[in-house]
Amino acid sequence: MAENLRIIGDTLPGVDMNAPLLEVEDLRVEFKIRGKRVPAVRGANFSLETGRTLAIVGESGSGKSVTSQAVMGILDSPPGYITGGAVRLHGVDILKQDEDTKRGIRSNHIGMVFQDALSALNPLWSVGFQIGELFRVHRGSSRKDAKKRAGELLDLVGIPDAKNRIGHYPHQFSGGMRQRVMIAMALALEPEILIADEPTTALDVTVQAQIMRLLKEIQEERSMGLILITHDLGVVADVADDVAVMYAGQIMEQASIHDVFKRPANPYTKALLRAIPRVDTLGQELEVIRGLPPNPASLPGGCSFHPRCWAAEEKCSVEEPPWASVAEEHRSRCHFAEEVYRNER
Amino acid sequence: MGRYVIRRLLQGLLTLGIVLFLLHYLMALSVQIRGNPAILFFGGDRTPPPAMLAQVEKLYGLDNACYDRPGDPCLVPFVERLQRYASGDLGTTLNGNRDVGDLLAIYIPNTLRLFIFSTLTLVIVAMLLGTWAARHRGGFIDHTVRGTTILIDSVPVFLVLLAYVYLAAVPLTNWARDIWGADTFMGEVFSPSYDPDHPWTTIIIPGIIVGTVGLATLTRLVRASQLENLGSDFVRTAKAKGLPNMRITVVHVVRNSMIPVVTGVGYIFAFALSGAVLTEGIMNIPGMGRMIFQAVQRQEVNLVIVGLTVTAVVVVIVTLIVDLLYAALDPRIRYE
Repeated sequence: MAENLRIIGDTLPGVDMNAPLLEVEDLRVEFKIRGKRVPAVRGANFSLETGRTLAIVGESGSGKSVTSQAVMGILDSPPGYITGGAVRLHGVDILKQDEDTKRGIRSNHIGMVFQDALSALNPLWSVGFQIGELFRVHRGSSRKDAKKRAGELLDLVGIPDAKNRIGHYPHQFSGGMRQRVMIAMALALEPEILIADEPTTALDVTVQAQIMRLLKEIQEERSMGLILITHDLGVVADVADDVAVMYAGQIMEQASIHDVFKRPANPYTKALLRAIPRVDTLGQELEVIRGLPPNPASLPGGCSFHPRCWAAEEKCSVEEPPWASVAEEHRSRCHFAEEVYRNER
Repeated sequence: MGRYVIRRLLQGLLTLGIVLFLLHYLMALSVQIRGNPAILFFGGDRTPPPAMLAQVEKLYGLDNACYDRPGDPCLVPFVERLQRYASGDLGTTLNGNRDVGDLLAIYIPNTLRLFIFSTLTLVIVAMLLGTWAARHRGGFIDHTVRGTTILIDSVPVFLVLLAYVYLAAVPLTNWARDIWGADTFMGEVFSPSYDPDHPWTTIIIPGIIVGTVGLATLTRLVRASQLENLGSDFVRTAKAKGLPNMRITVVHVVRNSMIPVVTGVGYIFAFALSGAVLTEGIMNIPGMGRMIFQAVQRQEVNLVIVGLTVTAVVVVIVTLIVDLLYAALDPRIRYE
């Protein structure tokens, strides 16, 4: 079992085990489209501790997937560029590392599960090959060893008859099983952080619950940090510890899951919560947030949410709201955060 | 898979039957309209005595009355011809009375050698250039590769061959012989014409030159299908797995973009068969292309039919190989 032992410093020089697991500070991403610079992420701040689950929630185009790809270092570039900020893993800024170190960080330290497993797996290679590839490239295992490890992983994520399915191709698996294969692949090298980008969106409801349970179980077993990216607050309600709500490339509110549901301090979060169908509002018309998310190429002045906000005043269209604390471990980006928090608005 | 292959082989046989009949019919028409090739037996200028002509016609199977009726498909001689071919008798030439089977044994290997080198050149160069261009999409390298291949493809292949034979071959041969000596590989490889004593060496350069036909098409095909895969979700997954760029290209992009490329190679291969006539003519290679061309000029009915049938067989086989390669490349394709 010697090859299972891994020293974190081998793949991440300068590591400080007392620093937080992952700290993202003022991360900025821009896309260059036909010579124009379009901001996709405008200063994202969040941190993640070992064994905790952070949910990043937002509408399509809010920048949540781009944030995760920037953290992972797999942003398509061109057109995407990281223009500022820091991503610290165990206190080491991974944006400043050279290509080889960054490559080693991916999958050794941060694993990633994508939304649509059918297109995210290569259709021409067997799942055993695609999982085993990680051991062969990063650990120098032999073909035979890699295959054996792939079988163990498939078994771990609950694929029945795993031994005989190593040689099967992605199209021979059902949607839920394919997502399990993706998870097995992300877990292969025992990363400390797992980023799941809409892991259940392409699945039907019963399978969604199974996959969420699997992710949660494995996270607890290995005390990994889990970042869950989703547009569905309902999905994260019983798995997440903390929530960051994103809108137009900014984090609007960050707090524990309990606080966000009970005492939101941002009008946007409040509007999102009202848009969730609930048993006690059965028969009533569901509330919607009127309007559309802004075009990142022409953001409104002041607070980016003000044209759609029910609490907006004149000040909101002129002045950008500060990123302020309303309580301990509870921050919000709104001029009226305190009032919203106290439910006075 | 086995059933699929058998079905495709039967389809191929049907194709060959149709090709054979069309060739036979064209040749019958040519005899009916242009006149009797048996006269060639007597040198072509004199009018032979009718009795001798009849004897020669009988010898070459031209005595059937259908050859005097323009438009008659001559089915009886067609069936006789098929029976002779089936029993292994490919007939003889009118000029010199040589066995066609023996001629094929000389010509086919030469054309095959030419095609091995040209196909290898085409596939290797197009794959490398296409991959290179795709990796640097929109940049200087991309534009240079696309421009250069179009330039190479725009120059007719016979012009390149003539330029090579008359301008480059002799100085290159002299230069190589000064350094390595006349009897070495390097001393022979640049030879301006085919040398039957060195059938492999002297065919490399013409093979490479023929291989540039279709280079632009195939390079663009490789580039386009790789670009499609480079933007795909599974390449993003491969990046997230921390794989080196080289491995992503070789393992996750090249194989996925091979299907259009394999189709393209098969197509260009069949197309290049006609190009062999020029190449073999200019480089004096006794191959199938030159043989068929001369056979048409001399009204060698039988030789033309056999020669063109052989090329049809090659096209049918190449198409079958392309289809089987699909299944080998993509596990989602199964022929059951």
